[in-house]
Amino acid sequence: MTDDLQYHVQLRAGDVGRYVLLPGDPGRCEVIARHFTDPVKIASHREYETWTGTLDGERVSVTSTGIGCPSAAIAVEELIKVGADTFIRVGTSGSIQADTAPGSLSIVTAAIRDEGTSSHYLPIEFPALADPSVVDALTTAARALGVTWQRGVSQSKDSFYGEVEPDRMPLAEVLHERWAAWTLGGAICSEMEASTIFTIAAIHRVRAGGVMFTAGPGVDFESSKEPLLRVASDALRVLIRNDRAGMTWP
Amino acid sequence: MAVPGRHERQHHIAVAEGEVGRYVLLPGDPGRCELIAAFFDDARLVARNREYETWTGTLDGVVVSVTSTGIGCPSASIAVEELVRAGADTFIRVGTSGAMQPHIQPGDIGIIHGAIRDEGTTRHYLPIEFPAVADIDVTRALAEGAKISGRPVHVGVAQSKDSFYGQHEPGRMPIAGELQRRWQAWMAGGAICSEMEAAGIFIVASCLGVRAGGIMLIMGHHDQAPMTEEETERGSMADFLPAAIEGLRTLIESDRRRGDR
Repeated sequence: MTDDLQYHVQLRAGDVGRYVLLPGDPGRCEVIARHFTDPVKIASHREYETWTGTLDGERVSVTSTGIGCPSAAIAVEELIKVGADTFIRVGTSGSIQADTAPGSLSIVTAAIRDEGTSSHYLPIEFPALADPSVVDALTTAARALGVTWQRGVSQSKDSFYGEVEPDRMPLAEVLHERWAAWTLGGAICSEMEASTIFTIAAIHRVRAGGVMFTAGPGVDFESSKEPLLRVASDALRVLIRNDRAGMTWP
Repeated sequence: MAVPGRHERQHHIAVAEGEVGRYVLLPGDPGRCELIAAFFDDARLVARNREYETWTGTLDGVVVSVTSTGIGCPSASIAVEELVRAGADTFIRVGTSGAMQPHIQPGDIGIIHGAIRDEGTTRHYLPIEFPAVADIDVTRALAEGAKISGRPVHVGVAQSKDSFYGQHEPGRMPIAGELQRRWQAWMAGGAICSEMEAAGIFIVASCLGVRAGGIMLIMGHHDQAPMTEEETERGSMADFLPAAIEGLRTLIESDRRRGDR
């Protein structure tokens, strides 16, 4: 850990708890922080906004990553430097399987490294895996809340419009073919940060996981954020409880 | 060549539908199948062809099987494909592996929840960016079951390689520098052990919508230093197998509790 002010997130040791929720959008940090006790805005710089509060007496934080793995990598690197060791990515995603209900939650177990950042860390053959203790905590929270959820692999892509408007891209055919492959491989959701968050967490021997809200016709983050944020904060409570009891997974 | 349907004997493993349980243990070595089947009730040899040997019996009243995969992902992927056609849906790779972290010792147990796709087979299935990931329910059951061994249990990533001697004697390979750099990268990423089939089993399982996991007896040191006599003894397969069987029992019990399928 370092006392130095971190260049991009503008945080120093003591500013955040060891548990950090990671939305993409800085505009969502405040609403997420409302799930904490006594939330305080700590920093706001570029796409990085950070709030810290407590859950069951334990300090917890939320930091936005911005869109994409390049900025998410910076956030995670700098948060680890100031003492964080447990990350839950929380955000919206597109569905990949036809039977995924809009509004349902996807608990991410691993991610497709369909992006450029994580290759600066580890050769592409290395799997981007969530920590199983975080996956289990999210599952426990989702089950208890009684929401619709699925668990599986996320596609972490670098191009939003390559996913939603593939036909107008020069690489249209490749994009379609790869999307079909992710579908056949059983991937459940598409987002833009998980694979790098997981890869960097592996290198630093810290824990990471993710829970994604499935966007769809008539269902957006604003109208349906509560179950997502409840599951994310309840999962932190599960991890806090297990950590206090000195439990190692499983 | 026509691919056999479910009811016919599968081309390579020579097993037909109904001859295996939904749970199948997957060692590499056909010579280990009988040793593993000895833990089943009413075990019988079902088929033997090429490197594939299959035994079926019961465990706590549930039909279970063991099929050898042979060495490497090419033959392992065939085994999983054909076993799914014969009715299996849950796979547990069980075998030996080399240690990849200084704190991991010969005789420890590795539970692998993901694998490095350092092999050629899985590229015939999915683009390389797709993670080779184990099923978390299988992983949890194996990690819980392994506790009965009293040995250190490590949950983590395995390197699934295509070349045994490329790992053990990298210095003599024309691409020595690359092999050594990549080995360092896998260790920096936290990989716990090195073996040769997990990535193929996990990726094929993902494509077929079935479950897979892996439990490994760890042999050797991360720096490939020779093992002492005592360490070699700690690496006895017979002493390790009860942990794998207990993992399978734990999974069967948790599936029952959940009323799963």
